[in-house]
Amino acid sequence: MNSKKVSKAEQPLSLMIPIYVVCILLAVLSIAPFWIMIINATRSTTQIQAHAISFIPGNALMNNLEKIQDKDMFKPLVGFANSALISVGVTVLALYFSSLTAYALTAYEWKLRESFFSMIMGVMMIPSTVTTIGFYQACYRLGLDNNRLMLILPAIASPMMVFFMRQYLQASLQISIVESARIDGAKELQIFNKIILPIMKPALATQAIFTFVSSWNNFFMPLVLLTKSEKYTMPIMVRLLNGDSYKTEYGCVYLGLSMTVLPLILVYMFLSKYIVAGVALGGVKG
Amino acid sequence: MQKKRGVVDYTKYGYLFSIPFMVAFLIFTLYPVLYTCYIGFTTKQGLISEANFLVDDPFKNFREVLFESTLFRLALKNTVAIWIVNFIPQMGLALLLTAWFTDNRLRIKCKGFFKVIFYLPNIITMASVAILFRAFFGYPMGPVNDIVTKIKGPGSEIYFLIKKTTTRNIVSFIQFWMWYGYTMVQLVSGVLGIDPSIFEAAEIDGANRLQTFFKITIPSIRTILLFTLVTSLIGGLNMFDIPMLLANGGPDNATLTTNLYIYNQAFSGSYKYNTAAAASMIMFTIIVVCSAILFYCMRDKDEAELKKLRKLERKEQRKAMAGA
Amino acid sequence: MKKVIASALCLTMVGAAFAACSKDGGAKGESDKILNVWSFTDEVPNMILRYKELHPDFDYEINITNIPTTDQAYQPALDEALAAGGKDAPDIYCAEAAFIMKYSQGGAAGYALPYADLGIDVDKGIADAKIAQYTIDIGTRPSDGKLVALGYQATGGAFIYRRTVAKTVWGADDPATVAEKIGADTGSWDKFWQAAEECKSAGCAIVSGDGDVWHAVENSSSTGWVVDGKLTIPKEREEFLDISMKLKENNYHNDTQDWQEAWFADMKGLGQKDVLGFFGPAWLINYTIADNCTDEDSGVTTYGDWGVCNSPIGFFWGGTWVLVNKDTEHKEACKTLIEWITLDSSETGLQYMWANGTLYPDKNTKDAVASATVMAKSDGTVEFLGGQNMFDTFIPAGDYAKGDKLTEYDEKINGFWRDQVRAYTAGEKTREQAIEDFKVQVKENTTITVE
Repeated sequence: MNSKKVSKAEQPLSLMIPIYVVCILLAVLSIAPFWIMIINATRSTTQIQAHAISFIPGNALMNNLEKIQDKDMFKPLVGFANSALISVGVTVLALYFSSLTAYALTAYEWKLRESFFSMIMGVMMIPSTVTTIGFYQACYRLGLDNNRLMLILPAIASPMMVFFMRQYLQASLQISIVESARIDGAKELQIFNKIILPIMKPALATQAIFTFVSSWNNFFMPLVLLTKSEKYTMPIMVRLLNGDSYKTEYGCVYLGLSMTVLPLILVYMFLSKYIVAGVALGGVKG
Repeated sequence: MQKKRGVVDYTKYGYLFSIPFMVAFLIFTLYPVLYTCYIGFTTKQGLISEANFLVDDPFKNFREVLFESTLFRLALKNTVAIWIVNFIPQMGLALLLTAWFTDNRLRIKCKGFFKVIFYLPNIITMASVAILFRAFFGYPMGPVNDIVTKIKGPGSEIYFLIKKTTTRNIVSFIQFWMWYGYTMVQLVSGVLGIDPSIFEAAEIDGANRLQTFFKITIPSIRTILLFTLVTSLIGGLNMFDIPMLLANGGPDNATLTTNLYIYNQAFSGSYKYNTAAAASMIMFTIIVVCSAILFYCMRDKDEAELKKLRKLERKEQRKAMAGA
Repeated sequence: MKKVIASALCLTMVGAAFAACSKDGGAKGESDKILNVWSFTDEVPNMILRYKELHPDFDYEINITNIPTTDQAYQPALDEALAAGGKDAPDIYCAEAAFIMKYSQGGAAGYALPYADLGIDVDKGIADAKIAQYTIDIGTRPSDGKLVALGYQATGGAFIYRRTVAKTVWGADDPATVAEKIGADTGSWDKFWQAAEECKSAGCAIVSGDGDVWHAVENSSSTGWVVDGKLTIPKEREEFLDISMKLKENNYHNDTQDWQEAWFADMKGLGQKDVLGFFGPAWLINYTIADNCTDEDSGVTTYGDWGVCNSPIGFFWGGTWVLVNKDTEHKEACKTLIEWITLDSSETGLQYMWANGTLYPDKNTKDAVASATVMAKSDGTVEFLGGQNMFDTFIPAGDYAKGDKLTEYDEKINGFWRDQVRAYTAGEKTREQAIEDFKVQVKENTTITVE
């Protein structure tokens, strides 16, 4: 707070009023769509058709829920379970192996280290579309399409995360700790698991949130790879709401959407501080 | 190479610990990329069809996509147009908010709260957001039309998603809405990283708000601005979820993006894997060029460090050679 | 402690992930009595489930995959499942008129098992049930001349109109008058335009949107979209541009899009203008108009206010064909179901119950079915049509149904064409430009040659 010395708080109303007006408007813009969605999830289709915007919840929530189950296509629990499975798998694998790779890049002196790191930098931006056609073909020929592992295992190689983990390790790793552990007779992998991983906890926590969320929200790969409805993840499941069966069931559409969105909003409510701090670090892909 | 006694050679662990990454990378990234590239040079159309190499005219698919396809060109144009219409206001608003939120003299309350709220849309599944907006712009009933009829009276409902420009702008708006908070948080953190004494000096020199912002703040966060620009461009070139689920590329291909073009070619019943593969390689090239620009921009930050490392390495190599 | 719990949690979840993933691999060895049924609506799956209810000794488990045709998601998924084979491959799968040709005659016909190979006496079955020739034509594989697909519906189309609206316009609501006014069976649209003008001066619309007319136009054309692998635009279908424009310019319709909300609103009588009628087969009455004729809140309904008469130009629309995978391990069960659905003309067969609305205890919608034998002994009187016997209209309408204009690309190409027509009538482009853009769409999104 060294700026206090110089700057006096000057808050001219002519500036403050527009600032707050804009901020509040933007805040409303951020929240209103989700608010309308949640309210409409509790209203009947006819109520929604009469007035699509309302601030009072309706009483059709259970009715909508029944209708959704009736349709037998949009199965939020199945989608939820699949998404959770894949996202947890992806997060754990990506965190562990990216840290391990970052550790290898920081703690050891090896000949190909520099070129390996340059390669990681180089492939950081390969978009998933480029790999899709070949990946799909390979999976298909091996009978591995519709296999959720094919969405999880690629996380072992997450160049972006290796990059950030390396960044973090370079700042926080003291090689003397490693050396003293070696003197105590610890094996290298043990040192990584018991000493290095705990050191990286703050970075792991931030990366975990973003990896989990981006995996949860992933649409393209699962869309191509999963054709069986019992394997659908949440974003693919939600696509069914666009289908004919729901064309006139607006209450159901809003309810289905709420089911996919609410868990994320809840998570965000609890972790928003860390998430925003993480974005500030530049820890997410744009 | 001989090692002194008592010193364990740890180099192998460097290799060892990189193996999982390398293996996964080879299987799940490199091989698919090469395979995609290969398909781009073949006749492969359909799951069962043979992939015959185009011997006479290896670049046929690439040429067709680049020069003969009206749709690919349209898709590229749409993608860039949607991105620009989203990026300019996004950056403008993010800069404005950054200027307000980092102004020491203004002391805006609830900054943290606003940041959290502005960032909220970014975390929600794009697929859900797209379908939500599709419902919002429903015709003849829908929240937006509800407002329209309230203002203009009944009978004035607008069929938004059948109008080309409107639909394209809705896609841009959703992108803007999802990303301005993210951009702002990044810019704010960039500004907070500037040495405060520079601002103090400016204040003492009697610089006003506008001058401080344009003469000091913006130049100081130039790198972050460029970084945001290029990451956003790459993200924009990969746009897929929203155009697909909002209007499935329509109306009349107005929101057909390059990724959607690739998807349609390969996975929506046409099975033109070769065309799709060629198109994705072309997009890859475009993105690589953008990435190159990105790294060129980021160079400042890491350059010094890299140089140091290289020097050290060279020294060690020389040492090792001398020792050998 | 927290750490321990957290890592334990992670481990179990990862463990669960791997266990769940490997499970599908392990299940392949077992040969359970599981039938995989693939469809794009719940119609056929529900039928099969109902069969199970009616025949408790049929002890197969039914594994349903239902993927809507929206966004064209069904075909790619089905193709992949067929090509992949194995335990999860479909045993029985359905195809709609818009893409049946692909599975019965086109690129994917090789996956189908001829009905005869199931042990069905096809010739006798067809003769007994008196199945319409077009259904057989569509379902016969040209490579070996064997029948691989049959439907259960008759989807000849008629004009389904609202009696009160007819009364407002012409003062009479009987089918004969309406048929006369719209020029039923004249083979041209001339009288229809006159009727449209009369509806307009009475403050009504003759149809809801141009999509209603489309199916009549589509099926009355002289050729299909593709002739000898090349795209052709039949004259009749090209004229749809003008028909659609005429409807729009003269404000003859409510400018709705089929399967959109406003279209359904017109069925409730809650659209901009009251709509005289819809073009469609019997299933449109039962599964679309009847389902959408009542506004739950206000109680406004058009139930009982409907009638049917012949269309100016005969056509057919939709229909579901049922196929069996050549690699099925459950031929016996497939035979039972296929026969029950497509060829059984007895009173316990599906089609009799389907036609008379007795299949489900709680629903009594009636539908025109493929077997003429069944139709002859069924009663099509429904309250929804104010007591009119709809089979009087739909049996002759079946004569218009012909499969020779169908191609395996119809679903896609129809979509492209309708989009361009919409853009043209919306004033976004010229007629020439619309045709040009249509050609580009077909050329770049399909493997059809376009000149």
